[in-house]
Amino acid sequence: MRVTQSLEQSQFLTAINQLESNISTTQNQISSGLSFTTASQNPIGAGLVTNYNQALTQSQQFVTNSNSAQTSLNTEDTALTQMQNSLQSLRDLALEANNSSESPQDLSAIATQATQIQNTLLSLANTQDGSGNFIFAGFSTQSQPFALSATGAAYSGDQGQRQVQIAPGQTVVVGDNGDLVFNQIKTGNGTFVASAAAGNTGTGVVSTATVADPAAYTGGTYSIDFTAPNTYQVLDANNNVVTSGTFTSGQAISFAGVQVTLTGQPAADDSFSVAPSTNQSVFTTVQNLVTALQQQGTTSAAGGAQLNNSINSAINNIDQALNQSETIQSSVGARLNGITTQQSVASSQQIQLQKSISNLQSLDLPSAITSLDQQNTTLSAAMQAFTLTQGLSLFKFIQ
Amino acid sequence: VADAIGISLTALQALQQAIAVTSNNVANFNTPGYDVETINLTSAAPQSNGSVTVGAGVDVAGVTRAFSQAETNQLNTSQSALGSLNAQQNYSTQIDNLFGTTANGLTTALQTYYSGWSNVADDPTSTAARQALLGAAQSLAASFQTSSTQLNAMNSDVNTRITGDVTQINADAQSIAQLNQQIVVGSAGGQTPNTLLDQRDQLVSSLSQLVGVTTTTNQDGSMNVSIGNGQPLVLGSSTTTLTTVPDQFNASELQISSSALNGNSISSSITSGDLGGLLQARSQIINPALNQLGQVAAALSQSANTQQNSGLDLNGQFGANLFSAGGPQATASSKNTDATTASVSIANLGALTPDNYVLSFNAGAFTMTDTSTGDNVALSGAGTAASPLTGAGLSIVLSGTPAAGDQFLIQPTAQAASTIKVALTNPSQLAAAGAIATSASDTNTGKATVAAGTVADPANPNLLATTTIQFTSPTTFSVNGAGSFAYTSGANITLNGWQTQISGTPATGDVFTVQGNTAGTGDNTNATAGANQQSQGVLDGGSVSISGAVSGLVTAVGTQAQQVNTAQTAQTAVNSAAQTAVQSTSGVNLDNEAANLLQWQQAYQASAQALTIASSLFTTLIDSVNGTFS
Repeated sequence: MRVTQSLEQSQFLTAINQLESNISTTQNQISSGLSFTTASQNPIGAGLVTNYNQALTQSQQFVTNSNSAQTSLNTEDTALTQMQNSLQSLRDLALEANNSSESPQDLSAIATQATQIQNTLLSLANTQDGSGNFIFAGFSTQSQPFALSATGAAYSGDQGQRQVQIAPGQTVVVGDNGDLVFNQIKTGNGTFVASAAAGNTGTGVVSTATVADPAAYTGGTYSIDFTAPNTYQVLDANNNVVTSGTFTSGQAISFAGVQVTLTGQPAADDSFSVAPSTNQSVFTTVQNLVTALQQQGTTSAAGGAQLNNSINSAINNIDQALNQSETIQSSVGARLNGITTQQSVASSQQIQLQKSISNLQSLDLPSAITSLDQQNTTLSAAMQAFTLTQGLSLFKFIQ
Repeated sequence: VADAIGISLTALQALQQAIAVTSNNVANFNTPGYDVETINLTSAAPQSNGSVTVGAGVDVAGVTRAFSQAETNQLNTSQSALGSLNAQQNYSTQIDNLFGTTANGLTTALQTYYSGWSNVADDPTSTAARQALLGAAQSLAASFQTSSTQLNAMNSDVNTRITGDVTQINADAQSIAQLNQQIVVGSAGGQTPNTLLDQRDQLVSSLSQLVGVTTTTNQDGSMNVSIGNGQPLVLGSSTTTLTTVPDQFNASELQISSSALNGNSISSSITSGDLGGLLQARSQIINPALNQLGQVAAALSQSANTQQNSGLDLNGQFGANLFSAGGPQATASSKNTDATTASVSIANLGALTPDNYVLSFNAGAFTMTDTSTGDNVALSGAGTAASPLTGAGLSIVLSGTPAAGDQFLIQPTAQAASTIKVALTNPSQLAAAGAIATSASDTNTGKATVAAGTVADPANPNLLATTTIQFTSPTTFSVNGAGSFAYTSGANITLNGWQTQISGTPATGDVFTVQGNTAGTGDNTNATAGANQQSQGVLDGGSVSISGAVSGLVTAVGTQAQQVNTAQTAQTAVNSAAQTAVQSTSGVNLDNEAANLLQWQQAYQASAQALTIASSLFTTLIDSVNGTFS
């Protein structure tokens, strides 16, 4: 083929441009450490890297979220432990007060201590987190949820429970509302309450009250009426006699699936009621106990029985509150465990994502350097060849 | 002897011309479009001298240029294709750099925005977290705007270059027409005006880089040049002037027309050369990228606003729109014969595409064509406010009945990215809380719980009204004291635009309340939902999330740039081969010319020697004759 010098030159220029552009691409790769810097060099890879980066950021955000959830739950956990300690002290005080040897002064002192515990509980119920949010206020985190009242404490929060997302599709509840923790506590044994009527003149005290046969339990209201000091009959809500019998102190009275043990000596016309449990605030429980302890003026046997009944019922209610608090705390613990698990899942997921990104995008440095070397060699060879051929011209030899 | 002198003289003259032709070749070694010329020598008509015929020397029959029309046509075609790809590559590379880098601004801004929602969910009452989210939203909107500004700048650049190309094409066409005239005159004597032909071929060659051309040569030597589907550009000595006209739908886009076409566009037939490449870059690369970006912006804006609207802000008010973005655009064709207008809104985000559509009214019926695929879109409705036309995720209402033949261009997403901005100014207006709160009464004796509840219809006017659900028996409940509904544990209870579930065993008299969450500033339900939108499918029938759409955009522009790059590399090789073929035929090889020079020089020296000998023969003869007569 006939080759002209200008063709040679233009082809050389094209080749040189191509070689230099290749060298520049390789240089870019080496200086950035990336095998591609624009999507056109690897469109699918670039799309994947974008996806992985988004997943990575999201996963890191989930860890941030779970750290925040952890802080909130730890605050709640601490508050619940302190609440249980306070309730335990209160229970010990109540047991001490139940001892008939206590003088009215002792009882009054116990009442004062109980009031202090009530204040402690109130401050726990109004616990604030690091940002000043009330942790037991539900969603109304900006206003103090509990304020003492004559009958206990008024709750002005709501029943909202904040959830924080810690993984795709997985949320964790970061708080329990104060209504649940402090207010919605079942009275009695959690199913029903056995209590003495206010006007009882005997010394009958409710000793134990249990559900003996859950299948037979109706949830109805009954009254155990003493027609004589040793004769009782059990009436249902419609005044129908359910059962009747002769009373022996400490012997269980069973009907409709419940079992109630009374001790002491009830008088004729004394009455005890069995009614389904209702919710009662722990503050009301403490208030009732304090009120009972302060009414120690009656030194009569009947008055003593009334105090015993009140203290027993307070102990039952404190046990329920402890139970509720422990249940919530174990749920908090389970949530904290869930968060820890999720954090370790997230961290291994992040390592995996970083690995995937690196696999797609990281430069194989030795091979890049080798190819840069080859490209340089090619370029200098091309330049040398061009100079050599350009030196050849017949005109040089024409003298 | 006189014959020998005459013959030598013809040789000297012819060889001088030959040396001139060779020198001319060397002189034009670097002249673009110069075709190497060769001298055609023929022996002169012999003179009969009785019984012997002796040659009469050498004649110059002419000078011809080495030229192959087929190779030249091939080179022109290849240059047109390369010109088109070069123009496209210019824009595809810019867009690739804009979106295709793995650390592009949009992806980062989007991630920061969604992290912002998560951080608000972690601490809904924190003004710092809210302010950060608002800032992230502003950066995101700015990122959309910056990208679309750059794409729009590319479109103006296309317009400028189209105007420039058209001017250049018209000038080249004029020059070709003038050369045609001169060539016709120059060819009249039977000679070929090589220089003029070279110049004309060179003009056609540069024209072919601007626009694909077809040439035919007439009997008289003149050349006709046409472009596109045979639209004439040069006919002998006359030209048709190309013009630019505004697009019938979009006045900011220039189209190609000609003086013979009354402003009708011939853009669709121009597919090669720089001009064809510019038109394709606009319709295949820049506008689709703008639309795709707009689709993401529209999806982001609409889904964020819907989420805002269904939650409550720090003041207990329903969240106002977080973003504002321009909706779909409908433009009536400038050729429409009446003033009917169309207004378009997004009816279904999941069906929204990044394509443009042309809505036509013919024979009393509407048809809508996807301009990217050419497919017709199924339409329903009548186009009135009561019964809008719906199709492709759009709802279209016309101001009246259009005239037959009216057309409207519908760009569902073209302006969303350039107009998106943050509509909120106050961080407390971010709706982090859910709209409703549920609660169980403290006096409940049963063991049933109520779920947090979700908002199904934020527009329901009674959404925040307080609703009391009271159990009239363990298996039935009344709502606000009325009715008796059967209770199923965990079943949905739906009212006033909300939905919740009660589970467990309620007791008679138990009360549950659903009410507006106006005091629930610590609630993060809506903020969590906002953060979750990152991976929630909203486009393509709910299968593609907003993040997915952005990485799809990265892949799409990358693939496009890669295709153009590959095609451009291949076409460069084709073009180089075509150039080699033409150069091989028509180029000047200096070594050839040197050899020719030597050849002519030797022949010249020999002829001069022959002249000397003839001359000395003549002198000898004269001398001898002088001796005889002296």
